[in-house]
Amino acid sequence: MNDDNMKEFAALELDKVIAASADMQQRWHDSIDAAAEREAATQYSTHRGFSPMSFFWGAAITAALAIGIGVAVFLADRPRSTETVDYVVQELPGSGLDRQATFSRALQVHLYDTQQSIATIPGNSAEERALLALQIVQQNRLFVQAAERHDADNLARVLRAFEPILLRLAADDIAPADADALRAQLAFEMKIMLTKLGRDSSNESHST
Amino acid sequence: MHTRWNLICIAVSTLTFGVAGAQDNAARSEKEELQMMALEALMASPSERALPALLKLLDGDGSDELKESALFVLGQIEHPEAGKALLGYARDGQGETQLEAIRMLGINGSPETLGALPGIYANGNREVREAVLEAFLIADDTEGVFGIAMNATTADDYEDAVEILGAMGAHAELAKLREAKGISDALIEAYIISDNSTELHKLAMDSSNPGLQAEAIEAIGIVGGDGADAMLAEIYTKSADADIKEAALQGLLIGDYDEVVLRLYRASQDTAEKRELLQTLVIMDSPLAMEVIDAALAGDQ
Repeated sequence: MNDDNMKEFAALELDKVIAASADMQQRWHDSIDAAAEREAATQYSTHRGFSPMSFFWGAAITAALAIGIGVAVFLADRPRSTETVDYVVQELPGSGLDRQATFSRALQVHLYDTQQSIATIPGNSAEERALLALQIVQQNRLFVQAAERHDADNLARVLRAFEPILLRLAADDIAPADADALRAQLAFEMKIMLTKLGRDSSNESHST
Repeated sequence: MHTRWNLICIAVSTLTFGVAGAQDNAARSEKEELQMMALEALMASPSERALPALLKLLDGDGSDELKESALFVLGQIEHPEAGKALLGYARDGQGETQLEAIRMLGINGSPETLGALPGIYANGNREVREAVLEAFLIADDTEGVFGIAMNATTADDYEDAVEILGAMGAHAELAKLREAKGISDALIEAYIISDNSTELHKLAMDSSNPGLQAEAIEAIGIVGGDGADAMLAEIYTKSADADIKEAALQGLLIGDYDEVVLRLYRASQDTAEKRELLQTLVIMDSPLAMEVIDAALAGDQ
């Protein structure tokens, strides 16, 4: 071994631990947490399963195609700021779906799906709750973009209104009772929106 | 089997007259559960039928949760009186009911309701002011938040508004604020939140305020993006200021740019600097740290 190099290496005094400042450490922790959440969210979204026994999912599979088509159409000209891994669906040739109706159906499935997800959020695991809530935020943002693109500003505002609640639900310092209240609030508001969308669709089909 | 109209009538009567015999706590809870179901059913009813029932419930002695739910339904009713009622609760309501009514104004998003928000903000406590900012966020009204930031009378109010502008990605309003109020910690945080690397790069080169310059340099590491690593390396190598160099190194650490740190390590002729750079690689838990150590032990460097 080269003596000069050994001296240079020894001069680095690697045995001396240089303590990082508290705020620096906090930033590392935040970065690590954020990275872990992103990683886990990616894994969750790619491994997300469903029960083939559920009647709803029979319809949902069909509707999921509509989501894919709808969201792909609505977002086609926009720069993508979020992952769209769940929505990468090829457009069916010659489908000729009405954009308004397609978006409405896609949104209904999103709301129904989100309702189901919220119901499955574990009450005793802050980590899992945060993970799922953040994943819903991500998907919700996609639909905000889609609503904006479709000039459905009223729906975009409602979807945006869900986000602060979801982010509160993702907070790690929230009491279980408060988390339950937020889940109940979201579930109720989504149910109301589903009723409204269903009513509007029904009115439109009767008027045509 | 009930028809839709039957269900609506039941919903209205449940909300208007309550459920007989619901006296004790358990029964009260059951009563509220029924009222919640009735609220859902009201959404399917004509607005002129639903409106009085909702207003009756909101003026009654139900729980906050029930009233918040009623406000959401009220917010979805397309009737001029519904908007007026929401405004009333947002201005004069109490506690959670007021906060929820303010949220509904954001969801409503009409010029009339949004136009009322600055006045509610000016007369409200901190919770009310936060709710107003959130309502502007929901309505995607960057001008409204900008107005609040411009007229903020306390540092906290200014910072809250700037943070919301960052969350809204309101680059134009943030630029106007910088021009009007100057650069600040809050603006740098807003640039981070809105991923505005362009402004951060400009600030990183502006030495007029070394403290904020250092913050902007670190922030480049947080935001990342194209050219962030090269810029941090350039700042690190060219700056003679120890604090700026330190900020650039922290930016590299936060951004996890271990290859850049390795290059700096290899280029350095200064033992103390080499030690700090190698320590940084170790802290980053980079495999390149072991590469350096192995190479040094093998006499390659």
